[in-house]
Parts: sequence; C-alpha cells; structure tokens
Amino acid sequence: MNRRDVLRVLGGAATVPLFAGLSPGELRARGITTHARARGRALQVLDPHQSETVATIAELILPETDTPGARAAKVHEFVDVLLAEWYDDKDRGRFLAGLADVDTRCRGAFGVDFLGASEAQRTAILAGLDAEVAALRAAHAKPDDHFFSRMKWLTLYGYYTSEVGMMEELRWQVIPGTYDGCVERQQPAPGGF
Amino acid sequence: MAAAARTFDAIVVGSGISGGWAAKELCERGLSTLVLEAGRPIRPEIDYVEHVPPWQVHFRGLGDRRALERDQPIQKHCYACDEWSGKFFVNDTDNPYTTAPGKPFDWIRGRQVGGRSIMWGRQVYRWSDLDFEANAKDGFGVDWPIRYADIAPWYDYVEDFIGISGETLGLPQLPDGKFLPPMQLNCAERWVRERLAGRYGGERVVTIGRCAILTKAHRGRAACHYCGTCERGCITYSYFNSVHVTLPAARATGRLTLRPYSVVHSVIFDERKGRATGVRVIDAQTKQPLEFQGRVIFLCASALESTRILLNSKSASFPTGLANSSGELGRNLMDHTMGGGANGTIPGFEDRIERGDRPNGIYVPRYRNVRDQHPDFLRGYAFQGGAGRSGWGRGSSQAGFGPGFKHALRTPGPWRFTFYGFGECLPRPTNYVEPDPETVDAWGIPALKIHCEWSDNERKALQDMSVTAAEMLEAVGATDVSPFVNDNPPGLTIHEMGTARMGRDPKTSVLNAHNQAHDVKNLFCTDGACMTSSANQNPSITYMALTARAAAYAVEAMKRREL
Repeated sequence: MNRRDVLRVLGGAATVPLFAGLSPGELRARGITTHARARGRALQVLDPHQSETVATIAELILPETDTPGARAAKVHEFVDVLLAEWYDDKDRGRFLAGLADVDTRCRGAFGVDFLGASEAQRTAILAGLDAEVAALRAAHAKPDDHFFSRMKWLTLYGYYTSEVGMMEELRWQVIPGTYDGCVERQQPAPGGF
Repeated sequence: MAAAARTFDAIVVGSGISGGWAAKELCERGLSTLVLEAGRPIRPEIDYVEHVPPWQVHFRGLGDRRALERDQPIQKHCYACDEWSGKFFVNDTDNPYTTAPGKPFDWIRGRQVGGRSIMWGRQVYRWSDLDFEANAKDGFGVDWPIRYADIAPWYDYVEDFIGISGETLGLPQLPDGKFLPPMQLNCAERWVRERLAGRYGGERVVTIGRCAILTKAHRGRAACHYCGTCERGCITYSYFNSVHVTLPAARATGRLTLRPYSVVHSVIFDERKGRATGVRVIDAQTKQPLEFQGRVIFLCASALESTRILLNSKSASFPTGLANSSGELGRNLMDHTMGGGANGTIPGFEDRIERGDRPNGIYVPRYRNVRDQHPDFLRGYAFQGGAGRSGWGRGSSQAGFGPGFKHALRTPGPWRFTFYGFGECLPRPTNYVEPDPETVDAWGIPALKIHCEWSDNERKALQDMSVTAAEMLEAVGATDVSPFVNDNPPGLTIHEMGTARMGRDPKTSVLNAHNQAHDVKNLFCTDGACMTSSANQNPSITYMALTARAAAYAVEAMKRREL
C-alpha cells in the first residue's frame, strides 16, 4: 500500500460512516442537532462584549503575521466551550472576573473599555498583566490562577489545536509516511519545526 | 440460539492479546472455537480514530472533564484514555472493584473485541533465564516450571506472525528475536548512545524500542506511516492488535464463532466427571443468563478478570474457587513499578529536528543484578524514554506576546532526553485479590477486592533508577540533569499479573508448565494471571508465546484423548 492508497482508505473511512444510510427524516434530525450544537457553541457563556474582548486579547497574544492569528482560529469560541462545559463554577467565575478586570484597568488608565482603547493602550494593559505573571513566576508562586496566565494558555492551546493553527502555522502532516530522526530544520518559518 | 450452536470444541474467554492467539491457534489446529468477549464489537473503519485532528473533537483533546470524573475516574489516569481513545476504556461505575484502605490500585481495563490490544503500548521484550530462574535463586515465589528453552521457539513463532521491529544486541539478559528493521534513533539519542558506549562499554546500552509496529510490509499489513497515535487504532494495520491480526486468522479457518456482549460469570464444573464443561454468561445487553459448552476452556480475560471468574466458580469440590486446591488463587499479584528516572538537556543539534511522529522510544536493557548483586534490592529494571524538542506548549509559561512571541515559538527548544524506568515487582502472597461480597458489577457478578502495595524492594529499585539515570546523563555530558521518582500506584503500569501462577507443585501453584490447571485438566489460563514472577520486561509477548504453546499442547492432548 503506497501513500496515495493510504489517503484513499482514510478518505473513505472519514466520510462514509457519518451520514451513510440515513433516511431523509434522520438526516434532517441530525442536521438540527448539529446546527443546535453549532449555535450553542457560539455563545454559551460569553456575551458579545466578553467574546469580543477575549478575541481581541487572543489576537494580541498570537496575531496575524505571515500566517493567520488567534481570531481567525476562533480561539474565543474554544474559550467559550471550555467555560461552559469544562470549567467548574469557581474557575469560570475567576476567569470572567479577570476578564472584567481588564476593562476596569483600562478605564482606570485610559478612561475607556479595553475594546474602546487604542492598539498601543491595549498592548500596555497586556504588558502590565504579563509582567504580573512573570513576577509570580520569578517568586516561584504558581501563576495558574492569574487571569492572564490562564488566558495565554487558552489562547495557545486553542490556536495550535485549531485547523488554522495546525495546518497553516505548524504545517502539520497527518500522515508523514516516513520517520527521519535527524533532518535539517528549515529556518524559522511556519512549520519550520 | 439452537442448542447445537451452544456447544463447541473450545471456548476462549476474552478476545485481546491472549484470547486472539488462543482463537487463532485452536481454530487453525482444527477446533470449533467460541470466543466470548464482554464488550462491543470493533469495526476498524469506524472505530479507529488515529487521523481525526484535534479540531474535530469537542474539547480539542482535553477530554470531557465532567464525564471522565463521573464515568471513568480511574480509567482517566491512563494516558491513552483521552478524548479519542476513552471509548476503549471501561465505565468505572459499571465495572466496580474495591481496594483496601490506604492501598490504591488502578485497574485499567478495556472491554471490546480486541480488549487492551487496541490501545496497548506495543513494546515487546523477551524474557531470559535470568528471569525464569529468579524465583528459584532468591526464594521469592515458587520456581517457574519452564525455562527459556521451552518458550524460545514460541517467541519465534509469535514474533514472526505479528512482526516486531528492533535491533539485535546479543545480550544474554534480553534475548534477540528475528526483527524487522529497527526504527531510527534521533540525533540526541544517537549522541547519548555513542557516549554511553564509550563510558560503559556493553554494560549499559541505548537501543531503539523493540515494538510490534511494522517498519516494512509484513504478511499483508502495511508499514507504519508515523502518524504517532497507535492507541487510537491503525487503519493500515501496522501495529499488532487482535482485531486486525489474530482474530482474522482465526476467522479464515471457518471455525471461529465470536460472540461480543458476553460477560462470563463463571466456569461450569461437573463434579462427577471432574471436568469443566462450559461457562455461564450474562448477555451484556439483555442481562439474560446463558450457558455454553466446550471440551476445553481457555481463560484469556486478563489477569484479574480470569482470576475473578475462577474465584466466582464455586462448587462442592472447589468451595473457594475453581482450581484452587492450592489456596494460591488470587495471590501473588504483581505489576511493574514505573517512574524512577532522570532527564537532561543534550547540547547541540540545534539545526536538527525529527520528521514524522515515531510511536516508539529508546530502551536500556537491565544492567542491575545481571552479573553482580546490588546490596539494596533484588531483581532489576530497564529504562524506556527518548529525546525530543519542546514546541509551542512551552509558550504558556514564557513571558511575552505578539508577533515576536509567536515567531519565537517556531524555533523548537533544546533537545531534552529522558530515562524512564520500569522495575520488577516481587511475587508476595500478601498482594492478593478476593471476591468482595458487598459489591457486584452492572451484570450482578461479584466484584474483586484488591489488596496490593509496593514493598521496600520495589521502592529501593525505583530510587536506584533515578540515581543511575542521572549518573548516565552526567556521564555523557548532558546539562540541567534532574532526577525524579514518581509515585505511581500499582496497577497503573497496566502490567498487572499473577494471581493464578504456574508452578511445578499442585500444592503451591494453580497452573502447570502448560498453563493447564493442576486440578482441572481441560481448563487453561494463558493471560497475565499465569505469571510466576514479573521480570521487568513488558509482558505481552510472553502471554502470546505462552498462549500459542498452551493451545498446541491442548490440541495434542485432546488428540491423545487425555483431555
């Protein structure tokens, strides 16, 4: 079996079982649940202001450069799924309080919400948060509960496991076909890893 | 089902590593064989999910935390019980067991056709006479009734069929097999191997893991394509499991009947004939009791499940469990220790990376207590592990954000090398299982109570792993060397074995040299339950070899009308 055959087999395996053999009624029912899930995914916990704030912070952490950034990877939707279905009440509350605190800090410093601030002002707010996390780490304190530590983790995880992150930034190959334990690395560039 | 369809030449309980081999051998040697599997059927084209990317699973691989805490609080301790492969692990509520206070034991189980062979670790190492003679030499446990010469041809036979890749080393304590080409070591691993050879000669050797993964096409199965996640299945059938290797061979004979959703309750014993005549089954879906008859019965349900079946098979002759005249049934439970070791940074090779995801690591064969005797502990340990470079994951614990931060994460971190030890566990009668009269599973079958803890010997060996691993990394010139000793409960290595041991004397063992019950001639048990000692090697290949050997013996004995 060569690589093309492998891909053909995989293609078949991936597509056949999903909707094959369903009656029109069943297909419609399946469609409704799928759409309901998709709708639910958009906003289960985050309101539009919170969602946009998360998307904006995420894009500042991993911006669009020569590859798409966190917003294109819909990191804010991933964050919403975890807040709704994975976090416990305490962690969810802590995250949302931290998110609100970003606006509080921004109003204190610049008189506007984070979303109303300029790019430079937003960057200054994040730099302050990032410095707090670094200080905790330097003092050997666990920074896990700090909002920005968690936000950075969520952004990285959400981005690098997204289709955009894996295919365009990491240039992931689902089926490498061979293994070479010692090849020359391309210079820093997408997928140079 | 007609009465005729309930009678077979052979009944095999379990369809995993051992059950698949029993099925293949018994069918190929002419017996009509019923394989009873407690769990669901597996269809590779649907159930294998190794190429499903993270963005197509709901929690991106983090798993459904709430469902795991509710339904799989024990299974989730296994690395492979993730968002893709969690479905291959049991529901802990349906499959309860209890432990003694202060003695945790993680019992990791897979109930489906293929059992745990679907998500096993695939590492394959032969035992040697150093292992088979260990009990006789230091007095722990009873003597094995076999030696390497008895099992060597069966290792050859099994390895040839399933395909093992690896490197020959010529070491007496880790016999070579007939291997497919070895997978490659990576840059840092080659560097450690060469420097270690310079420092320790042939005494401490880094080799590539010997694994049941094909490096070239073998008996109709394709070579590995290095996607890296074998525990999710493999649509090219490149690693061994029973679903796509042994069970198809059994099916090809036309003599196999495979019945999923069949939870075996107990073995039926005929007092008058002194024979096992069949098994009692609870249908997993309807919960109705059923019976099946066979002339010979192979228990291959996994170490603790096979023992549980025997303990639950009570009769006038065997009030404490079938084939338990010795009183040893349930005793001498073992697992391997794991988690003593060290890691360190390997300098250089900054312009080099790996390409492809190798589902295998390095191996350092046992070097302790091979020629001399360590003052602190008996038996030995081996290291697995390997080298790699960190990726984007390290960014979460680094300062910075923005374009420079994103692009800096494109450069991998330094090469880090890890030695991760697996150690032998002594057979001790105080580590045992018994039926728990208070607890039944979802099918009303009495559950087990497990009493198991590590002894000082295991703890001292675990400490020594971290010492010698750090010593080797220092010796080769690694930097930032960090020794560690992880505290893992027994069970979590998922090499649980013993509890129906083989032995020469019916007074002190349950099974004889052919995995045949001393007390019941047509009853065999060939999974991990039969093990008389644990060695430090991953045990599955030994279960396969013992199973094939026992099946051949059973069929010959039937032909001679001894069974």
